[in-house]
Amino acid sequence: MERKLVSITVDGKTVEVDPEINLIEACAVAGAKIPSLCYMKDVSANASCGVCVVEVEGAKALVRSCVQKPVEGMKIRTASPRVMNARRTAVELLLANHPADCLSCIRAGTCELKVIAETLGVRASRYPKLKKSPPPDTSTEGLVRDDSKCILCGRCVAVCAETQGVNAIAFAGRGARTRVTSFMDKGLANSPCIQCGQCSVVCPTAAITEKDQSSEVMAVLADPRLTVIIQTAPAIRASLGEALGMPAGSLVTGKMVAALRRLGFAKIFDTQFAADLTIMEEGTEFIQRIQKGGTLPMITSCSPGWINFIETFYPELLSHLSSCKSPQQMFGAVAKTFYAQKAGIDPASLRVVSIMPCTAKKGEASRPEMDSAFRWWTERAEKEGAKTGAEHYQDVDWALTTRELARMIRQSAIDMASLPEEKFDSSLGESTGAATIFGNTGGVMEAALRTVYELLEGKPLPQTDFFPVRGLQGIKTAEVPVAGMNVKVAVAHGLKNARALLDDIAAGKSDYHFIEVMACPGGCIGGGGQPVLPDMDKKLARNKSLYLEDLRMPERKSHQNTEVNTLYKDFLGHPAGHLAHELLHTQYRARVV
Amino acid sequence: MPATISKESSPSIESIIQQHRGSSGALLNVLEHVQEADPKHYLSEASMRAIAQRMDVPLSQIYSMATFYSFFNLKPQGKHSIVVCRGTACHTRGSLALLNEALSRMGIREFKEEEENSATSPDGFASIRTVACFGQCALAPVVMIDGVVMSRMTIGKLVHVLEKIKKGGAV
Repeated sequence: MERKLVSITVDGKTVEVDPEINLIEACAVAGAKIPSLCYMKDVSANASCGVCVVEVEGAKALVRSCVQKPVEGMKIRTASPRVMNARRTAVELLLANHPADCLSCIRAGTCELKVIAETLGVRASRYPKLKKSPPPDTSTEGLVRDDSKCILCGRCVAVCAETQGVNAIAFAGRGARTRVTSFMDKGLANSPCIQCGQCSVVCPTAAITEKDQSSEVMAVLADPRLTVIIQTAPAIRASLGEALGMPAGSLVTGKMVAALRRLGFAKIFDTQFAADLTIMEEGTEFIQRIQKGGTLPMITSCSPGWINFIETFYPELLSHLSSCKSPQQMFGAVAKTFYAQKAGIDPASLRVVSIMPCTAKKGEASRPEMDSAFRWWTERAEKEGAKTGAEHYQDVDWALTTRELARMIRQSAIDMASLPEEKFDSSLGESTGAATIFGNTGGVMEAALRTVYELLEGKPLPQTDFFPVRGLQGIKTAEVPVAGMNVKVAVAHGLKNARALLDDIAAGKSDYHFIEVMACPGGCIGGGGQPVLPDMDKKLARNKSLYLEDLRMPERKSHQNTEVNTLYKDFLGHPAGHLAHELLHTQYRARVV
Repeated sequence: MPATISKESSPSIESIIQQHRGSSGALLNVLEHVQEADPKHYLSEASMRAIAQRMDVPLSQIYSMATFYSFFNLKPQGKHSIVVCRGTACHTRGSLALLNEALSRMGIREFKEEEENSATSPDGFASIRTVACFGQCALAPVVMIDGVVMSRMTIGKLVHVLEKIKKGGAV
């Protein structure tokens, strides 16, 4: 139903606005941008920072525009001296308790508090520091929470509860002792936290950040005894440019490869190669489940935040998960077996670095079971009666986020924009358009459908694009006729949306065959390791870029990847075969917190 | 719900939850009654986990509520309760001396008022807490012992009452 618009005047300009939006959005209609440190469009307002105040004619006090709705005839001033004074005081109060280590802060270049303090002309804080903070929480693999930098805006609490339905953190205490924390202040590792990192993307300061390992990787790159190779996830090519100051959605595939080569990586490989490999395994698994009566719906398993979520909240549904490892882990296992063997490199001196849009990937790489290559080599050595001797190693040694890679490129003074476009190295570098779209919500499903259809029908798809599973709406569904059956699929991103589908499965009410879940809103393009503070427009720009790249690729279906086919022919055997299972599949377990 | 462990599913928690099922603000009431039912008059981690699981409320939110209200105790409490008002009126009339007297009589050495507002004696005999105001400023300084509010308190009167409860008598 169309609502009747109301007429308001903002700084002398009269506009018609929807009465159900808040004043921040209403003033934007009139072209007035109101600053805020806590407001976020997609979650409920906390009205904590006090920066968004405006003057409403006739109102006694200033009004927080994030929680006030427009009323017919309202006259608003967004930048009067009274407003500016109140904003400055609000920011001064926040600065009083905030450490002044801006020069060495990880968010120095992206801190909202710093920008607002500068914009408002706050030059000193008149108030004493009262806050006492515990040391930073470094209990998890992916995230660091530094309470001393928290301004209690509540964005992290809101995304954790409302977008993700995880509720790992909440406000505790009262008054000057208020803090954001987990149950009994036990740290994120002992909470239901799934490491998705959405909190680190919305935090206005450095109170929650990725656990930065970029200097460790810089150090191994300088070690002549080691061969350091790298893989880059699909979503990075649509966001790395943005992290380095280019417009959102800039596609930088070739320049990124060139920059990585300048950084000194021995081989630049592509996680997209492993994404195509994933589709071969996952597509085969799906067909087998349909034909042999396996557990349905089958649910995708590429997103480690999602895996942590189902292991924590729905352990009774674990049999629905595809047993496929994520592309990151398939890559690591193949690199340290097939590639090491082929290139004649001792796997113990090979280091695999991943660039991921994700903080949970750090935890995934260090899961104890993710050491398939080490076990494979040990088994071979034992069979031959040789001594193994090698120190234990994981399949993937470091998983860095987009933000960490951008940091490395800046530190090395590489001007990525001016570099020529270069190509990925061969044998683990080829990929198809199907792999590119893995970075978007709906992309894994679409890639799987392209391959499953052609494998079952034995003829080319009439149309390669599956539009119903694209776009940013929370849950998408489609029915696809394949080989005489109607395959019903669903796609969810943001775990609150996934909960709806899971509750139906638990209640026996789900008639889907195949479900894709990605933990982060938008999929990997909106991942917790991506450039901070993305609005919907930026996410859409990243999303469109990946579909554009898909169209540009010479091949757009995973089973057409010649390097993947060579890998099967020369090494793995066939999809879902014995060696494929040993290296490319995994198991899940209930997580108790 | 997370797969929480709850080895102690005390029947009283179950019945308290049943009693408040469906009422608005049920969680606050449940926390209050579970604390009352606890012999050590506090919300243990196990009881909060049991409440979370049975009421389908995230643990973080239970902790949020339990730490917001100073009424809730997250540590085991002593047999007796001594509450000293530290509001402005009581402070100007000597409540700090009363607090220190009570602390030393109960053998509590560490009490950082600005960090935590309660402490329990090592022998578990009494817990001492401070509050911001009783609303009885005209009768300052005010102390409450085992639920009995005592106004115009002096060190002499306080020592007398404390000696009485130490000997097993009522306030």
